This record gives sequence, structure tokens and C-alpha cells, in this order.
Amino acid sequence: MFHWLEKNPFLFSVGVFIVIAFAGLIEILPNFAEAARPIKGLKPYTVLELAGKEVYKKDNCIACHSQLIRPFKAETDRYGQYSLSGEYAYDRPFLWGSKRTGPDLHRVGNYRTSDWHANHMWDPKSVVPTSIMPAYKHQFKNIADTETAYAEAVTVKRVFNTPYGPEIAPSKEAYEKYYKEKLLPEAKKIAKEMKNKEVEAMVNQGKVPEIVALIAYLNRLK
Amino acid sequence: MQSNTALEYDYSVAKLYMWTTVIFGIVGMTIGVLIAAQLAFPELNYLMGEYGTFSRLRPLHTNVVIYGFTLSGIMASFYYSAPRVLKVSMGELPLINALAKFQFVAYLVAATGMVISLGMGITANKEYAQMEWPLDVLIVVYWVIWGINMFALIGARREKALYISLWYYIACFLGVAMLYLFNNMEVPTLFFSGGLGAWYHSVSMYAGTNDALVQWWWGHNAVAFVFTVPIIALIYYFLPKESGQAVYSYKLSLLSFWGLMFVYLWAGGHHLLWSTVPDWMQTMGSIFSVVLILPSWGSAINMLLTMKGEWNQLTENPLIKFMVLASTFYMLSTLEGPIQAVKSVNAIAHFTDWIPGHVHDGVLGWVAFMIFAALMHMSTRVFKREIYSKSLLEAQFWIQTTGVVLYFTSMWIAGITQGMMWRAVDEYGNLMYSFIDTVTVLHPYYTIRAIGGLLFLIGVFMFAYNLYKTATAGRKLENEPQFRSPMA
Amino acid sequence: MNSFIVKGLALAGVLIVATLVVVQQMHIDLTDPINMITFIGAIAIAVLTFGVGAKYMAQMKTDTATGELAEENWDGIGEYKNELPPGWAWSFFGTMVWAVWYFLWGYPLNAYSQIGEWNKEVKEYNAKFEQVHKNASPEVLKEMGESIFLVQCAPCHGETGDGLSGKAQDFTSRFTKEQVLAVIKNGQDQLKYPMGAMPAGMAQGKDAEDIAKYVAGGLKGTAPAAWGTCAGCHGQDGKGNGGTAPDLAGYDLTLVQHVLKHGKEGIIGKMPAFPGRFTPVQEKALASYLATLKQ
Ligand code: HEC
Ligand code: HEC
Ligand code: HEC
Ligand code: HEM
Ligand code: HEM
Ligand SMILES: [Ca+2]
Ligand SMILES: [Ca+2]
Ligand SMILES: [Cu+2]
Repeated sequence: MFHWLEKNPFLFSVGVFIVIAFAGLIEILPNFAEAARPIKGLKPYTVLELAGKEVYKKDNCIACHSQLIRPFKAETDRYGQYSLSGEYAYDRPFLWGSKRTGPDLHRVGNYRTSDWHANHMWDPKSVVPTSIMPAYKHQFKNIADTETAYAEAVTVKRVFNTPYGPEIAPSKEAYEKYYKEKLLPEAKKIAKEMKNKEVEAMVNQGKVPEIVALIAYLNRLK
Repeated sequence: MQSNTALEYDYSVAKLYMWTTVIFGIVGMTIGVLIAAQLAFPELNYLMGEYGTFSRLRPLHTNVVIYGFTLSGIMASFYYSAPRVLKVSMGELPLINALAKFQFVAYLVAATGMVISLGMGITANKEYAQMEWPLDVLIVVYWVIWGINMFALIGARREKALYISLWYYIACFLGVAMLYLFNNMEVPTLFFSGGLGAWYHSVSMYAGTNDALVQWWWGHNAVAFVFTVPIIALIYYFLPKESGQAVYSYKLSLLSFWGLMFVYLWAGGHHLLWSTVPDWMQTMGSIFSVVLILPSWGSAINMLLTMKGEWNQLTENPLIKFMVLASTFYMLSTLEGPIQAVKSVNAIAHFTDWIPGHVHDGVLGWVAFMIFAALMHMSTRVFKREIYSKSLLEAQFWIQTTGVVLYFTSMWIAGITQGMMWRAVDEYGNLMYSFIDTVTVLHPYYTIRAIGGLLFLIGVFMFAYNLYKTATAGRKLENEPQFRSPMA
Repeated sequence: MNSFIVKGLALAGVLIVATLVVVQQMHIDLTDPINMITFIGAIAIAVLTFGVGAKYMAQMKTDTATGELAEENWDGIGEYKNELPPGWAWSFFGTMVWAVWYFLWGYPLNAYSQIGEWNKEVKEYNAKFEQVHKNASPEVLKEMGESIFLVQCAPCHGETGDGLSGKAQDFTSRFTKEQVLAVIKNGQDQLKYPMGAMPAGMAQGKDAEDIAKYVAGGLKGTAPAAWGTCAGCHGQDGKGNGGTAPDLAGYDLTLVQHVLKHGKEGIIGKMPAFPGRFTPVQEKALASYLATLKQ
């Protein structure tokens, strides 16, 4: 019946390609421009927050945590306001996740604090006795890669017009200036709230451990 | 041109992939058992410092089993069976044979890079597309080479019409190529930041909801074009070949194939139900998922009907057992998936362990079983020896079947329970359970899953041993067996 | 033949019953429509897969392969020209018709919106909730409060409300001496009571010590001489003068409401605010529950 097509590999392949490419065009393209629009008042991530997002990615928290509150009463009761498309406009990549071994974190900044996170990331069982979440003690030692985070801010500013000010510029000097004037003070504030002496001492020496950046990011999730 | 003397096929490339299948299978599933155990016994997170946490290991598990084990199995089967159904030996095309070996090397380099970078936490963090851009480039290279090799073989074919398996291999090649490219559009920061930061770092071209759409258009179809389409290629070759039975119905093959091609792509929206993508797209995902049951079941039924009247083969030949059970598990996961794609059901199933349960019905019961059967069948022809031990194969089958059953029953119960607990309200209408309550209750099921996984892994070791012994110590065969693989 | 199908269905039955038993143990309401649909789905998966799978297995035992062979042959593999299995063909056709109908007519006519559904559900629910529990008894409030507390507050304050060894407020005693001293020394202006801020330095030295001991001790026994300074605002009994200043003796509703609305930062640390997260009845419930924790 269709053997003629199966004897013509070229036409056959073209046929397959058309059939599979079709759905993407119809389902994905129409929504593109609209879904990318930020909600009013949304600020881009600070470089420290971006560095924290990198820690979140590196330690792959997405394996257990979602960032998507679905519009069910049970979810809005537990986590707060359901998620809106425009809130994710600066999320590259999106971090919705697909498994909730742990709770959703899209608004965790509303109901947890720096020192709670510090306790929890050091040893989850110290705050939630039956937790199965691993402890992330290494984040208290490893230094956050703020330069890459800065590079990311520069890139999204230049390529996607993410609204950063002139302090984000493609040069080593601009980075160092930003680090001293913007990033460190932000980190110091968090280190102080964490109430962890060693971390505070490190930040005072000008070094930002991963945990400080991560908490900056988690606090930002609101 | 048609010569009547049997062709002497060159299996050197197929052989290489056979061994990587085994190695990646062992590595990936050992990690699988470890992470399964970590959820039941969290102390196991601290065996290797920061590299041993559940979260670092999970993507290693998924990537090694998908791009290591499964893809190697597919490549081994392709380089074994495609030349046979086309009636050209790789040996007749020296350039293509060399290119195929180069593809293997590129593949190994990419796979090694993948393991190292994911272990170090270098990741783009999109599920099933975690590799950073330098590895993407390498992957595109070897994929394109595979395409060249496939079409070169087809061009040189002596058999006019393409056999069903080839339809599926072609679709696998095209589908993955298209989806992979679009989903991995990313901007390396190196080129725009004046050389600041890590050289391998990139940002996704898409943001937020758009990124999610593209990602699951890929993610869903990665399942389609890696776990489904090429595995159907395997079963269409190895089941009729091993049993000596003719394929039940050409019409059924034809409609299932084109139906699957058309419908699969639309269904990706079922990963984004209740999210911030527009309602109509979600609905589209649900509808097409339900339609998808039929083209999926079509292939499975076609294979089961091929075995009609061959009950004796099922009882006597463990390879047939693997393949018949594989098509049954394929039916299970392609009915389970669509039902989980119904919006009301997804409200409970999404984010719970019922999804990994569904996943492993497919990947263990269908994908892994097919790959084991294919490699064993091939081994007798490739090594020209008898399978080393039938009883070992038989034992492997039962141990692994028990493992899969433990895996899916425990995750089925765990997921439904957890999903319902998240929604449960007390008599006053307030949430009945704190989050941690819904975690603690899963402990027994996580334990059962780990045991099931361990059984499956034991089976993998039995398989590896059996295959190794077949290659080195199996009784030598004079002639290539026509159908049934001889075993001791 | 039938024995196979029976076995297949038995297997499906065992799985479903096991799931049902576990879910029932968690006191889950299966009449909730979403739960019910999920269960029907689960039954469909198990029954159809095991049933249909078993049907084809049975055919392997009894039937024989027949049909007209196509002329092609690939590496020894032949192909029959059999017709489509009618059950499969009709189902495929049926689902396609359904899909087209649903997408073009069934669905757009409903003009469904998931956010709209949420709005409606939550609004109706909250109105009813407030109505039903307007005059809830203290026991009901306490129980209700406990369940909210365990979900929302326990991660910081601990399941027993003891504050997890100093990580948050310990509800089993209203204050420690240090907390009171700190407020006396620094004053406080964050809970936004009608009275406004409490000034710093209201008492010094031994006076402050005595007051702090007295307040931390639960305002029992005779008040120290300097207590008068405080009583002006907090009342002679320290209960806050009907809500114009915080109740120093226990966790009354006004205090809990103010903390939930504004959060609180003290010497233990910072508590985030929970604005708009609870209905008035739920706040009352939380206060009732906290009040029972104090020894
Ligand atoms: C093995 C799974 C797992 C991994 C991996 C994991 N978590 Fe968790 N997480 C949990 C569980 C379970 C809970 C709930 C119990 C608890 O609070 O510890 C939780 C709770 C949390 C909470 C508290 C949220 C709340 O509402 O109470 C935060 C914040 C959090 N995790 C952050 C992280 C971050 C950041 C990472 C990665 C660096 C991470 N988690 C990795 C399982 C995990
Ligand atoms: C001028 C009125 C006034 C006087 C006098 C006063 N307070 Fe207060 N006090 C307040 C107000 C108003 C608040 C709540 C401040 C806020 O908004 O955070 C408060 C808060 C407090 C708190 C913190 C309560 C909590 O749970 O956060 C303590 C403890 C306290 N007062 C103790 C005292 C003591 C002890 C004295 C006497 C030495 C005293 N107050 C004198 C008005 C007063
Ligand atoms: C992220 C942690 C956290 C969460 C969640 C939290 N609290 Fe607190 N809470 C604190 C801390 C820390 C303090 C102590 C502040 C201080 O006085 O130093 C506190 C103090 C309080 C106080 C005493 C205030 C006072 O004036 O003495 C009340 C009442 C309270 N919390 C109620 C609640 C209730 C009710 C909930 C849940 C709805 C809740 N908290 C959730 C951290 C938390
Ligand atoms: C008709 C065919 C199928 C449909 C309609 C389908 C549907 C679904 C649905 C609805 C989900 C859950 C999405 C969520 O809520 O998170 C899912 C997840 C998944 N399915 Fe299927 N499924 C099908 C077949 C298969 C098969 C055969 C396999 C593997 C062999 C498979 C592998 C997966 C994987 C790996 C995931 C997890 C994705 C993630 O990481 O979240 N599916 N599928
Ligand atoms: C010994 C056998 C195996 C065990 C014990 C095992 C265990 C696990 C565990 C524990 C998870 C994480 C689930 C979670 O986060 O809750 C997982 C995820 C996954 N595994 Fe396996 N696995 C095994 C074999 C395989 C094989 C052979 C494949 C593929 C061929 C595979 C593919 C996957 C995929 C795709 C996921 C991600 C699912 C998702 O995100 O929803 N696994 N596995
Ligand atoms: Ca997933
Ligand atoms: Ca990539
Ligand atoms: Cu899918």
C-alpha cells in the first residue's frame, strides 16, 4: 500500500520530518512573545543572587524542589500565591522542577529567614528532625563563583536587554568595582543575619562562601 | 547485484557499543540503587563528600542510563541489524566503517565529559539536557555522523524497501536532531562578558515559561525518540528474528508508525499541566496523550500477535520471555502515561513518586529488557558462539521481573498516597499534613524500591557475566543460526 | 484461556486494594472528585493493561499464526498482510474523532480557565469557612490552631513549640529575662500597636533586673517597685491594657495578629511576617493554640 514510500528513503525522511515538526510550530511559537514579559516591578537578579542561583544549579536542588505553585487551594494554603508567568521573565533556565521530594520553594523567601537557612543547610535534621534532605556543609567552605555570575549578568544585559544599570559592564575592572561596592555589602548583610561567626569572618575578609550567595537567592524567592 | 551467497557482516562497531552498553548499564544502575537507598536512608549521602549527595548523583544516574546505557544499546543494535535488513555489510563501505569508529570515539569522549562535568556540578540544569555547550557541540557532531552513516548504508542497500526498524531509526535520528538543537540554544557567557568567568558557562536563549515549553517539547520527545522509537526498532527486528515468526500485520505497523510520529509531538504539554503555560496548550497536551495510547499499543499488540500460537517458545526461550514482557510493560507505561496526563489525575500525580514509578515501568520493563534481549541475540552472531548459560539468563529474567514489580508497585502506592496527602484537609478545611509528614510516610516504600532496584542490578551483573563468558568461553558455532539463538 | 485473564485481573486487584488500604490509613477523603478520578484512572491502568496483556498471552497458548505473507523478506523476517485488529482500529478512530470534537467544540465552548476556577473555589470556600466557624468553641479553635501550627510554624518553633533550642521563640514561656532586658534597654517599634513605639531606657540597673525577672517569671508574686513604669502602658496585670500594648503575660490574639502581620525581630532572630496568609478565624485559632502551650 505504502511500499512505494518505503522504497524512497529521501521522501520517506522528508515525510517523517514534516509530520514531527508540525506540532512544534503550532504549539510553541504563538506564545513566545507574550510569555516572556515580566510582571510589573520585577527586578533582575543581583549578581550575588545569580551566584546563588548557580549554587542551586550546581548542587541540583531541582532534583527535589519545584518552583511552581499550582492554582489549587491546597497549594496556595501551603506555599502562598500561585505562580505567574511574568515572575519567571529573568529565569534562564526556568527552574520549575518535576519532582517534589521536598517542598516547593517559589515563595520560600516569604516564610524562611537567613539564619533558618543557615541552620537547615548545615544540618536539616537540626530543624526538621525527620528530614531526608542531605546536609550541604561544603557550601560553607566553597567560595561562590561570583565572576561567572557577573559574566552572566553582562551577557543577559547585552543579549536580552535585561534591565541592568551601567554598573554591569564587560570588563574585569567593572567586575572588581561591582564586587567591592555592591556585592560585598549585600553579602555582609546576609552573613550577619546568618549568625555564623566563621562565615561572617570570611565575608569580612572579602570572600563570599557559596552558602551566602545561596541564601541571597533563596531570600529573593518571594 | 543480488548475490545468493550469505554476506559476511562486519560487526566491529556493533561490538564496541555492546561493551559500552554493559559498562554504562552497570555504572548507571549502581548509582540508581544508591540514590534509591539515599531516600530511604539519608546517611548514605555522605559517602563521597559533596560529590555523593542525592542531588549531584541523580543527574548522573539519568544521564548515564539514558545517554550511556540506552544509547549504546541502540547504537549496537543499529550497527548490527541495519546492515542486515539492508543487506550491506559495514565492511563493504570502508569509509563509513571508519567514520562509524570515529563516531564511537566522539561518543566516548562526550560521555566521559558528561560524567565528569555533571559530577563536578557543571550543568545547564534542564532535565535530560544538562550538558553545557562544549559538550553539546560534540554531541551534535556525533549525531550528524550517525545520520551520514545511516543514509550511506541506506544508499548502498540491496533490499529495496526499508524494513520497519529502519523507519524508526530514521525517525529517531531526525527527531532527536531537531529537538536537541532547539532546546540547547544557549548563549556562552564567554563571548559577551569580555572573557569573564567560567569558559563553559552559558545562559539559555529562552526564559521562564518559554524555556519550560521548549524544554518539555524536548523532554517529552526525548522519551519518544530515545526510549520509545528506537526501542520499537529493536523489537521489530529482534522478536521476529529470534522467534522465526513473520510480523503479524503490515497495516498495523504502518498505522502505528505514522500515528506515533504525528501524535507524539503534540503531547509534550502534559509535563506542564497546571503551570503558567496557556490553558489551551495544556489541554492539547492532555488530548493528544489520550490519542497516543492507540499508536503505542498498536506496536505492542503487533508484536504480541506475532507470537500467536508460539506458547512453547515463550516457555522455552528466555529471550522471548524478555521481549514479550517488554511489550507488555510498554503497554503498561503507555496507558499509565496518558492517564497521568488527564488534568485531574495530574493534579495528584505530578511532582510525586508515581512519576518515577511510571518512568521505570518504561525504562526497566521495556527499554532495559529489550536491550538485554537484543544484545544476547546479537552475541551469538557477533562472537559466533553459543550463549554461555541459559539457566543464568532464566534466573536473570525472574530476578529482574521481581525487581521491576517491586519498583512500580511501591512507587505507585507512594505517589498516590503522597499526592493525596498534599491535598488532604482536616474536618475544618485546613491542611491536614505538614510537608514532612508526607515525607516520613514514604520510608517503607523507598525501602522497597531500593530492594527492587538492587534485584534489578543483580540481574545486570548476571547479564554482564553471561555476555562476557559468551564472548570468551561460549561453545563455538559453525554456522550462523537462522532464528533461535542457541544457548547452553 | 480464561485462567490467564483471571490471573491478570487478580494481579490488578491486589495492587488497587493495596493502594486503597494505604491511602485509607492516612484518613483521605476519597469522595473528593480529584481523588476519585485519580482512583478510577489507577483502576483503569491496572485492569486494562493486565486484562488486555493476558488476553494476548492466552492467544499465544491457543491460536495459530495465519495470513497471507507479503513477498518482501528482510534478513529472514517476513510480514503478514493481516487486517487491523478491529478493537484497536475502532478505538484509534474513536479517540481521533473525540480529540477533534473536544478541541474544536467541547473545549472552547467551556472557555475554561484554571485561574478562574481557583478564584471561585477559594472565594466560596473562605466565605463559608468564616461563616461556619464564626463562633467556634475554644476546643475547636485549639485543634484547628494546632494543625495550622504544625504545617506553617513548626519548622522554626518546633513541633512542641519549644523554639528548637533557641532558634525561635519558645512558646512554653512568654519571655526569657534576656529578652525583656533587651526591650527595656532598646525599646521596640515593630509590632505597630495603637500606642506606637515603646521608648528605650524605661528602667535601669537593678530596677530593670527586677522587672525582667518578674516578667520572665510570668508576672507572679508581688511586682517590684519599678513595675509601675511599665504598668502605665502594659496594665497593672501586664495584660496589655485591652490591646493597646502587648500582653506580657501570655499569647493573646492581639499579639499573635500583630506578629503575623508585621513579623518580629528580637534577640533570638527574625521572624518573617505572614500577611494575608490566614483568615481571621485561623488567626484566632493560632492564638488559642499558642496560649495552651504556656506552662
Ligand atoms: C533528597 C532530597 C532533597 C534535596 C537534594 C534537597 N532538598 Fe531541600 N528539602 C528536602 C525535604 C524532604 C525537605 C522538607 C524537610 C525539611 O525541611 O528539611 C526540604 C526542605 C527544604 C527547604 C525548606 C522549605 C520549607 O518550606 O520548609 C529549603 C529552603 C530547602 N529544602 C532548600 C534546598 C536547597 C537549596 C537544596 C540544594 C542545595 C536542597 N534543598 C536539596 C529534600 C531535599
Ligand atoms: C509608653 C508605653 C510603654 C511603656 C511605658 C512600656 N512599654 Fe513595653 N511596649 C509598649 C509597646 C507599644 C510595645 C510594642 C512595640 C512594638 O510595636 O513592637 C511594647 C513592647 C514590649 C515588649 C515586647 C513584647 C513582644 O512580645 O514583642 C516587652 C517585653 C515590653 N514591652 C516590656 C516592657 C517593660 C518591662 C516595661 C517597663 C520597664 C515596658 N514595657 C514599658 C509600650 C510600653
Ligand atoms: C522562619 C522562622 C519562623 C516561622 C516560620 C515562624 N516563626 Fe514565629 N518566630 C520566629 C522567631 C525567630 C521568633 C523570635 C523573635 C525574637 O523575639 O527574637 C518568633 C517569635 C514568634 C512569636 C513571639 C513574638 C513575641 O512578641 O514574643 C509569636 C507569637 C510567633 N513567633 C508566632 C508564630 C506563628 C503563629 C507562626 C506560624 C504561622 C510562626 N511564628 C512562624 C521565627 C519563625
Ligand atoms: C503514551 C505514551 C505516554 C504518555 C502519554 C506519557 C505521559 C507522561 C506523563 C503525563 C508524565 C508525567 C508528567 C508530570 O506530571 O510530571 C510522564 C513522565 C515521564 N514519562 Fe511518560 N508517558 C508515556 C510513555 C512513556 C514511556 C514509554 C516512557 C519510557 C520508556 C516514558 C517515560 C517518562 C519519563 C522519563 C517521564 C518523566 C519526565 C520527568 O522527568 O518529569 N513515558 N509521562
Ligand atoms: C537498578 C535500576 C534502577 C534504579 C534503582 C533506579 C532508581 C532511580 C531513582 C531512585 C530515581 C530518582 C527518583 C526520584 O527523584 O524520586 C531515578 C530516576 C530516573 N531513572 Fe532510574 N533507576 C534504575 C534504572 C534506570 C534505567 C535503566 C533507566 C533508563 C534506561 C532509568 C532512568 C531514570 C530516569 C529517566 C529518571 C528520572 C525520572 C524523573 O525525573 O521523573 N533508571 N531512578
Ligand atoms: Ca523529572
Ligand atoms: Ca546544553
Ligand atoms: Cu511526556
